[in-house]
Amino acid sequence: MAKLKREEWYDLTRATNWTPKYVTEEELFPEEMSGSRGIPAEVWETYDEPYKVVYSEYVETQREKDAGAYSVKAALERSQYVENADPGWVSTMVAHYGAIPLAEYAASTAEARMARFAKAPGNRNMAVFGMMDENRHGQIQLYFPHAYTKLSRQWDWASKAYHTNEWAAIAARSFFDDAMMTRDSVAVSIMLTFAFETGFTNMQFLGLAADAAQAGDHTFASLISSIQTDESRHAQQGGPSLKILIANGKKEEAQTMVDAAIWRAWKLFSALTGPAMDYYTPMEHRSQSFKEFMEEWIIAQFERQLIDLGLDKPWYWDILIRDLDITHHGMHMGIWYWRPTVWWNPAAGFGPKEREWLEEKYPGWNETFGECADVIVDNLLNGRPELTGPETLPTVCNMCQLPIVGVPGSKWDVKDYQLEYEGRLYHFGSEVDKWCFEIDPERYKGHLNFIDRFLAGHVQPPDLMGGLQYMGLAPGEMGDDAHGYEWVKAYSQPKTDAA
Amino acid sequence: MALFPIHSNFERDFVIQLVPVDTDDTMDQVAEKCAHHSLNRRVKPQPGKILRVRRHCDGEIFPRDMTVASAGLRPTETLDIIFSDN
Ligand SMILES: [Fe+2]
Ligand SMILES: [Fe+2]
Repeated sequence: MAKLKREEWYDLTRATNWTPKYVTEEELFPEEMSGSRGIPAEVWETYDEPYKVVYSEYVETQREKDAGAYSVKAALERSQYVENADPGWVSTMVAHYGAIPLAEYAASTAEARMARFAKAPGNRNMAVFGMMDENRHGQIQLYFPHAYTKLSRQWDWASKAYHTNEWAAIAARSFFDDAMMTRDSVAVSIMLTFAFETGFTNMQFLGLAADAAQAGDHTFASLISSIQTDESRHAQQGGPSLKILIANGKKEEAQTMVDAAIWRAWKLFSALTGPAMDYYTPMEHRSQSFKEFMEEWIIAQFERQLIDLGLDKPWYWDILIRDLDITHHGMHMGIWYWRPTVWWNPAAGFGPKEREWLEEKYPGWNETFGECADVIVDNLLNGRPELTGPETLPTVCNMCQLPIVGVPGSKWDVKDYQLEYEGRLYHFGSEVDKWCFEIDPERYKGHLNFIDRFLAGHVQPPDLMGGLQYMGLAPGEMGDDAHGYEWVKAYSQPKTDAA
Repeated sequence: MALFPIHSNFERDFVIQLVPVDTDDTMDQVAEKCAHHSLNRRVKPQPGKILRVRRHCDGEIFPRDMTVASAGLRPTETLDIIFSDN
């Protein structure tokens, strides 16, 4: 049977739409799900996705990708990479697997919302593939860590984390629920695919893939590069939505969605990816610093894309650039100090040699974060380990759900942006987090962060043990120093390498 | 007397923390309770200096013997704990 050439039918099928006869258009595409914003269906039909694919091509490519990643895993299984890897790198993987796979599953339903409710036929078509992509990402990233559950119960957090009230899980859920689970399909295309996936999954997947390859972890590197090729395709769904909104007088609303999603994604990554790249990954395997990745993938790339689309730089761009030197160091120090409250073993990453690297990449580190590190090291060297762990909770932001941190030491600058709204006092870690709340207070005002829950009596008994129980952290799961404090010894040895 | 939660922004520390104080506590006692969670943990002591309590939002420094109850604080309000010569 003679087949039509692809170009003879492709444009017709990808843009197929129909006029509903049995229901109204409003019933077929309810506004709260579709989010067409009063822009007529004919305009949405002009949605032009830059990346075009048909089902048979999709299946063929995906089959090859899966075969590639699974065969690398099978081939390297006997090399016992994880058993022998640096514990800092293992922590990066354990943190990644807890934070990512179930968010991928959730993203599959966000894609499904576009596949069903987008008024743009091209968006519906692309989102079907996106939905299958995210399902694959969820499954493959549950399957890979499953092989290691025999090594430690922490690996089990790949499937467990999102079902708990562990604080980092609350933070991740808060962002993903906000950007992709509770928005209409146009907002999902913008906040999830454009703002989050274009920049930040590149960071997580290309950045960590580079580090993984350097660390010799070819299983992880091939897995996450295989995922990233899907991301870079389905991330292109937001651009055409933005073009339509901008051309139809909705630029301001589009800009607000982009700005809020980039900021919220940045905060989450400052806690999850920043510490992994600059502290957990062994120094010799770091391809770039977190700040360098951010500058390349977020600052430079987004700026270009936003301007090309006719949007502006987010109003807070200078604040973000300043915070690239601050926030993730604070998140790291907090995670290490409150280490029993996470499902991975944070590597301290501030031994003498690592501090040279930090000072080089972040001039001034030693007189700021280094001052806190000095006290921690002094306590560990002098038999006061009890002072290197928490007896209370860090103050948590009512937007990003992460600790409120800033510059310590001689340049001390830590701020709480407080807001009284309808008689309740809210705390925010930055002016931008507060701005996110003020865009739509109705949306956010009822949420209780970890401190609110603690003060409302949800955590019983109201102490650290009660807190760990509330977070679902059993013995064998709660974190401790990745290297068993071995790194402290380097401080007690006389310096022999002085010239 | 009643339990009263405040947030402690301790000078030279990197993070703000929840600290339960008492409405009858003086500001010196508040500073001491906050110090327990920062000083010698991540902040070096500063010999010869004392700790003073300052309202974070407007910078008002409270008298050392003023009680929490009389300072007009909102529950969970953030306070700066700062090193001072007097
Ligand atoms: Fe994905
Ligand atoms: Fe994705």
